[in-house]
Amino acid sequence: MLLHILNRSQSSSRVPLDTLRAMSGNDRLLLIEDGVYGAVGPLANVFAAIQGRVYALQEDLASRGLEDRRDPAIELVDMDGFVALTEQATQTVSWY
Amino acid sequence: MNYALLVQGAPYSQQAAHSALRFAHALIVRGHTLGTVFFYHDGVYNASRLAAPPQDEPHLVEAWRQLHEDHGTSLLVCIAAALRRGIIDEREARRHGKEGYTLEAPFELTGLGQLIDVHTSHDRLVTFSP
Amino acid sequence: MSDTTNHPMLVVLRHAPHGSSWLREGLDVALVGAALGKTVNLLFLGDGVLALRSGQQHGPLGQKGTHPTLDMLEMYDIDTLLVDSEALTQRGLTVADLQLPASPVEAVSLPELFAQHSPIYSF
Repeated sequence: MLLHILNRSQSSSRVPLDTLRAMSGNDRLLLIEDGVYGAVGPLANVFAAIQGRVYALQEDLASRGLEDRRDPAIELVDMDGFVALTEQATQTVSWY
Repeated sequence: MNYALLVQGAPYSQQAAHSALRFAHALIVRGHTLGTVFFYHDGVYNASRLAAPPQDEPHLVEAWRQLHEDHGTSLLVCIAAALRRGIIDEREARRHGKEGYTLEAPFELTGLGQLIDVHTSHDRLVTFSP
Repeated sequence: MSDTTNHPMLVVLRHAPHGSSWLREGLDVALVGAALGKTVNLLFLGDGVLALRSGQQHGPLGQKGTHPTLDMLEMYDIDTLLVDSEALTQRGLTVADLQLPASPVEAVSLPELFAQHSPIYSF
């Protein structure tokens, strides 16, 4: 299982689409930095197909004033949870 | 586990270096080791000894240095990416006939081969890019 | 990463030439990996497929570009060049438009490709 770390959102970039194309059926996706903009509102629908395997970094949503607007299908993780996700994955791939 | 980080974002320009530092501290708190931070692309600017941020902002260069002092983390800077961008240690400055230098210990100029070696000597490599 | 030590290394190139140094610095990682004896495969993904377009030139200020580096890959035994088929099509390109022979990869094969490589460097 790979952990894909994404810091771009689908509102301004095609990178999230490439990330999704590269993900296998049990890979996980973590949204960080500007990637968390994609965790909000109808934009987040792009992740419907991988529901249950999408995470967003809590502190990056909070600093952007968007913590309460996160799509409920996307799980919140703190920095400790970020580290835990990297432990569980065999390796990580960063998309930017 | 023994972790390595690859940092490719310049300090203060993008969030990458800040995220990498947050992650570095979190992995240590969870009981892991941070063996190496490798700086590549614009990440090499994190090694500038001349960085002088305002006092009410996080001092990234100082924070990297502190990681080395507290946890023995190697701070490796890709020499090819660094020299192009004016990040240069005393020895290289002499070799290129330049006055002054911008990189000093505990940061080390090193070849890209060290980034390849990181894969065999560490359990995890996590990349932070702009 | 001990369970994947026999896998080849993958360098994913996602940026086009000239506009930034990502492509050059990614290729440098591939060359160094190969020089250290790793089996290195390249995947040109998204805008990265433009790296392979034939007829590229040096920049007007003497910037070297990355096309000369592509010609060195064979010398380093980097002979698996995989190219994102969908990205080529989106840009009106086919493998006949490329500087080097590359194998088109369909989107459906990408996840398996990532799963079979270690380490993966993405530029």
